[in-house]
Amino acid sequence: MKNIIVGQYIPGKSFLYKMDPRSKILALFILMVSAFVFKDITHIIYMLLGVLVILKIGGIPIMRIARGLRPIMILLLFTFTFQVLFIKTGPVILDTVLTLTTINIGIMILAIVVWYYTRRYIKSKFFYMVLVIVGILTMLSLFTPGTVISSSNLTIYEDGLLGASFIMVRLIIIVTLSTILTLTTKPTDLNLGLERILKPLNLVKINSEEIALIISIALRYIPTLLDEANKIMLAQASRGVDFTEGKFKDKVMQIISLLVPMFIISFKRSDDLANAMEARSFVPGNKRTRIHILSWQSRDTLVIVFCLLVLTATVVVRVYL
Amino acid sequence: MNIIEITDLSFSYREDVDALHNVNLTIKKGEWISVLGHNGSGKSTLAKLIIGLLKADSGDIFVDGILLTEETVHEIRRKIGIVFQNPDNQFVGVTVEDDIAFGMENLNFDRLDMIKKIDEFSKKVNMNEYLKKEPHELSGGQKQRVAIAGILAMDTDIIIFDEATAMLDPKGRESIMEYIRELNKEGKTIITITHDMKEAVNSDRIIILKDGEVLAIGETNTILNDKETLNASNLELLLPLKLLYKLDEANIKNEKVKDILWQLSLNK
Ligand SMILES: Nc1ncnc2c1ncn2[C@@H]1O[C@H](COP(=O)(O)OP(=O)(O)OP(=O)(O)O)[C@@H](O)[C@H]1O
Ligand SMILES: [Mg+2]
Repeated sequence: MKNIIVGQYIPGKSFLYKMDPRSKILALFILMVSAFVFKDITHIIYMLLGVLVILKIGGIPIMRIARGLRPIMILLLFTFTFQVLFIKTGPVILDTVLTLTTINIGIMILAIVVWYYTRRYIKSKFFYMVLVIVGILTMLSLFTPGTVISSSNLTIYEDGLLGASFIMVRLIIIVTLSTILTLTTKPTDLNLGLERILKPLNLVKINSEEIALIISIALRYIPTLLDEANKIMLAQASRGVDFTEGKFKDKVMQIISLLVPMFIISFKRSDDLANAMEARSFVPGNKRTRIHILSWQSRDTLVIVFCLLVLTATVVVRVYL
Repeated sequence: MNIIEITDLSFSYREDVDALHNVNLTIKKGEWISVLGHNGSGKSTLAKLIIGLLKADSGDIFVDGILLTEETVHEIRRKIGIVFQNPDNQFVGVTVEDDIAFGMENLNFDRLDMIKKIDEFSKKVNMNEYLKKEPHELSGGQKQRVAIAGILAMDTDIIIFDEATAMLDPKGRESIMEYIRELNKEGKTIITITHDMKEAVNSDRIIILKDGEVLAIGETNTILNDKETLNASNLELLLPLKLLYKLDEANIKNEKVKDILWQLSLNK
């Protein structure tokens, strides 16, 4: 618990680390817009290649990015399937009949059972699952011995496949870009960068410095609160509360027995903290000088100019091609 | 010269009971005074009133000749620093460096000046090797030292320690007491708040609070010799002091033993 890291920053030395957080946030924004301007699958694949090049020179291991993509894998798969099945324009690529028979339904169930019990031994669970699904579909279309139970048409159109791939690639690009940002920027720098970038919001009476201060205090207290939760759980466990087992009703009670003391302690904490801050002459909304400054260098200007060029190019491509 | 003057100060959190009742107190510039009292006697309330975190029901507080009001509270806070009891609840910054800077940032110090001061005062409390560390990587004593560095950097004339050692182990406690002694020698006016008599014996004067009222106020030696008052204060007496009183009661007049016990009481 003590060593919990907020964010996923990994230390490094490449140009991505030397950049000003402001320019990184801006660049991310511009490139994301570009990703949304593209309409053509080949162009977006070029962009994906470009992102891979950034990863390469930035010295970021692809595996870290893959780990960042993992939580949205299911979402990707879902969107992909949905797109493939429901876009029905363009030339037909695949037209087949899926047939359920007494024999292949048995093999299918067997395959699922085997998959279910072996998946824990396979490293890449996601690809294992996709492989099994594709395998079953192939079998249903090609191998049809025994009595037919039911059958249905599966038709895949070119537009469906392209559209689905396009959306996949776009999502992967967006997630990869934001992962690059969080991997190479410390949470505090990220916060400071956001604060400076959101400064124009002061014109509409939103105080970006205060928002940043709130975020930094939240960041600072996450490990403390986790530690506290741990202590309370131990204390409750020593009084017989079991946090691992139990029916739904028990679980709810366990969570309440954790949350109530957490809330009470947190209120006391925030009260103390507010006192300590006020005693150290903090006045909300007042101007504060800052110990941390960000330094915008020619490198940053260069990157932003480059990103703007990319954006211009995408717009030109979109309009004229 | 009196740096703090408190007259007829009363305050209550709820209507029926006074947390502080008619407190009068003057503190001289450069002196070290201990506020001693049992749990709930009103010590923290007094500190919060002095620094303007609470507003008195009646009575006046003058700091450096300035009457504490809503207009002057910010000016007065520049003269007083306070270290609280819980090291975790006063660590504002994400890192040690940030936390030491927090007060200075609020007072609009120049950035280069801040960097110099962070270096100077983190060295003073022996935390200069921890500047980039986060609070969860530090012990309670280290966090308290960071808090002290943050206050020192603001360069206030008066520093209040509200049970600043209560959550520390004996070693951490001793090192904080050592800093306090040193700061007092350098000319800071010090107010230490404690319910532990052992921490009060080194100060110049002691004020004893009981149930929100001033029970006694005087030179440390005088207070320690005042058996009746100490017995009435609900405070845990120091063992050598207890022995000394017992010797008195039994009419034993061995001056040498008494002297040793007295020295022990004074932590010497
Ligand atoms: N926020 C509050 N709301 C209501 N009553 C309070 C509050 N804070 C303190 N009190 C009450 O006021 C009285 C004085 O409290 P205070 O915190 O000043 O005592 P203390 O001498 O600092 O005690 P301790 O040694 O426990 O820190 C106590 O009876 C306490 O219960
Ligand atoms: Mg107190």
